[in-house]
Amino acid sequence: MAGPSTLWETLQALLPHTKEELKLELGEKVEGSVLMLLQEAAELFLGGQWRECLQTCEVLLDYSWEKLNTGPWQDVDKDWRRVYAFGCLLKAVCLCEPPGDATSVAAALKACDMGLLMGAAILGDILLKVAAILQKHLLSGKRPAPGPSQEPPGTKKARNDHVPIPDVTTERTVPRLHCPSLQYFKKHFLVPGRPVILEGVANHWPCMKKWSLEYIQEVAGCRTVPVEVGSRYTDEEWSQTLMTVNEFISKYIREEPKDIGYLAQHQLFDQIPELKQDISIPDYCCLGDGEEEEITINAWFGPQGTVSPLHQDPQQNFLAQVMGRKYIRLYSPQESEALYPHDTHLLHNTSQVDVENPDLEKFPRFAEAPFLSCVLSPGEVLFIPVKHWHYVRALDLSFSVSFWWS
Amino acid sequence: MDEERRGTWFGFGFCGFGQALGSGLGRQVHSPEPLRTPGGSLGVCRVSASWSYTAFVTRGGRVQLSGAAGGTADGCTDAWASEELLVLLRAGPGAGAELQAWAPGSAMRGDPLWSQAVQEAEHGPSRDETQAGLLPLLPCARAYVSPRPPFYRPLAPTLRARRLELGAEHALLLDAAGQVFSWGAGRHGQLGHGTLEAEPEPRLLEALQGLRMAEVAAGGWHSVCLSETGDIYIWGWNESGQLALPTKSLAEDGKTTAGEASGLEEDGSEVKRGSAGEDGAPAPFIAVQPFPALLDLSPGSEAVKVSCGSRHTAVLTRTGELYTWGWAVNTIQSHLSSSFKSETLQLLNNSSFSATPDNYRYTFCLSL
Repeated sequence: MAGPSTLWETLQALLPHTKEELKLELGEKVEGSVLMLLQEAAELFLGGQWRECLQTCEVLLDYSWEKLNTGPWQDVDKDWRRVYAFGCLLKAVCLCEPPGDATSVAAALKACDMGLLMGAAILGDILLKVAAILQKHLLSGKRPAPGPSQEPPGTKKARNDHVPIPDVTTERTVPRLHCPSLQYFKKHFLVPGRPVILEGVANHWPCMKKWSLEYIQEVAGCRTVPVEVGSRYTDEEWSQTLMTVNEFISKYIREEPKDIGYLAQHQLFDQIPELKQDISIPDYCCLGDGEEEEITINAWFGPQGTVSPLHQDPQQNFLAQVMGRKYIRLYSPQESEALYPHDTHLLHNTSQVDVENPDLEKFPRFAEAPFLSCVLSPGEVLFIPVKHWHYVRALDLSFSVSFWWS
Repeated sequence: MDEERRGTWFGFGFCGFGQALGSGLGRQVHSPEPLRTPGGSLGVCRVSASWSYTAFVTRGGRVQLSGAAGGTADGCTDAWASEELLVLLRAGPGAGAELQAWAPGSAMRGDPLWSQAVQEAEHGPSRDETQAGLLPLLPCARAYVSPRPPFYRPLAPTLRARRLELGAEHALLLDAAGQVFSWGAGRHGQLGHGTLEAEPEPRLLEALQGLRMAEVAAGGWHSVCLSETGDIYIWGWNESGQLALPTKSLAEDGKTTAGEASGLEEDGSEVKRGSAGEDGAPAPFIAVQPFPALLDLSPGSEAVKVSCGSRHTAVLTRTGELYTWGWAVNTIQSHLSSSFKSETLQLLNNSSFSATPDNYRYTFCLSL
């Protein structure tokens, strides 16, 4: 219904119209040559020279992308991420130059997503606004394609020969509590660092009723996200790649996947604010020292069989289960030696042991290390204390939301 | 006449900053063109290119900058260009020399950011006639210069350095015995020791031990060396095909775009690798090659010179063929006929830009 000219008009109305507004405040790290290019890109854009602007944007993206790939991510200067976002913004808009067919608009949305994934917020979170406009335009042009089969994906999976659901009755289980008070939780679990499953806390979140494959495809289908391919991140064949949510669902969930694909540890709710409305931040997070804005919310979405090898994180974690079930095992940090962490810097917080198939000749002490386990079901929230080792395997098509807080 | 005997510099690629002498702003050169040097035969003997500007050094000791940075300076024996710093080696009073670090935008006016007296090479490595200098390796070979502080970095005396090359995050050293050392960050396999771990100090490439190397070159995140017998060894990041190995992005897009997010999670999940199928299945894409791989250019070819841009590689063979691969290198070879012989190859450190297949990403100069 919304024609391409309306899209173009909407985008043009959203973007600044003067050089002063279409500008970034940047520090010393960004070299003069890049500032020249930024200025050139802005001038070309404001002058309506879309093709030339695109070329300049590619130069900016190319150079800043190298900066984003130099050194550890946490050390990358935010200004380079802003430069990258700026390039993505102008590129996205230029790609929508009329006639603006669906392919171009999809490419524009991908450019926005790259800016959101790797860039930093600029011009009042303009990339989010542009992405929302583009997404709306793409969706209005087509109906979401129904899945190849209407049967719930879980039944398809029954054909795979995965390890069956562990018999947790033989294992020590994580205790469960129904809506404990803040003080009770703090005294008995947060301070002593003990895991617990909280019931009645998240079960009324809108996501519990609303989220399904169809809904996710509607709300996020054309958005580009990072996907991990491979059984586990400690494997040699493991890799990360980018694809749209539709491609991910089609390739790694619906059809007979050859590999395991996992949309893991991704701040999806920053990228697609609409989804954020379906979740809440657990009240217990207020017991921490940090601000609410500092809480990292990650999405974990994948087929049956995804595995996160035994590892520890430097923050407290609430893991809320929305779709499907997960088998989770927890080891106290006191048992770290018996878990044989890798000695490399990259993987020092990851155990070498395959939890459900341990090589006890190589890792003898592992057999004696005590642990707690559980099957986490939709509506439940697991508290994983800071530095607590955890291993996770999805027993069904699964969607979890984690909250990292301090 | 003099120029023909000495050789002519050619360039092609992205000249968006006017980095090639005599090129205007915004030009893209699709096939090699001679650099227009103002004022007749300048006798350019060394070219050092950064992304947005190039430094040309003449036999007469003049350094001329072209591109986003400009200016000239005399009395120089060598220059090395990077986005952060322009390094000059100036003949000093007496037998000494002075190392100077300039802000590229200063046009070499006023005072350098930093300077230091350095030893001239007396018993240092002998210079190839066609190579004007060894920067970032200093003439005494006891130290090298870095674009980030500390600028002056000593090398252990036991390392008899012949050549030193800097990547974005690593360093390669070729010693007098033809052995290769590497150090720095290793997250993309650029160190060649088989891991992704960093090395704080120069470490010998054990995989190449015993093979005498003649040349080394460092790209942004990859490394190349040539043996004395003309073999090419290459390792590091292959995201744009800079190792001439199958790469996912090229296969999927048909062109290279700023593709994969290099995931930066704390729990080690940023490792991004593919590996050849062990059971003979078609090799999937190789993103990182953490130890040296032998590269076969073509049967019987002997590589004599190698040079790297940020994400691409170029090799010159004994018979004068030029091979290039990596970021945005598409049909560049078709532009080079076999009669285009080259003696010296100095690849200029990239530039960047558009996605259309017939544009090239780098500026490239060689001498005939």
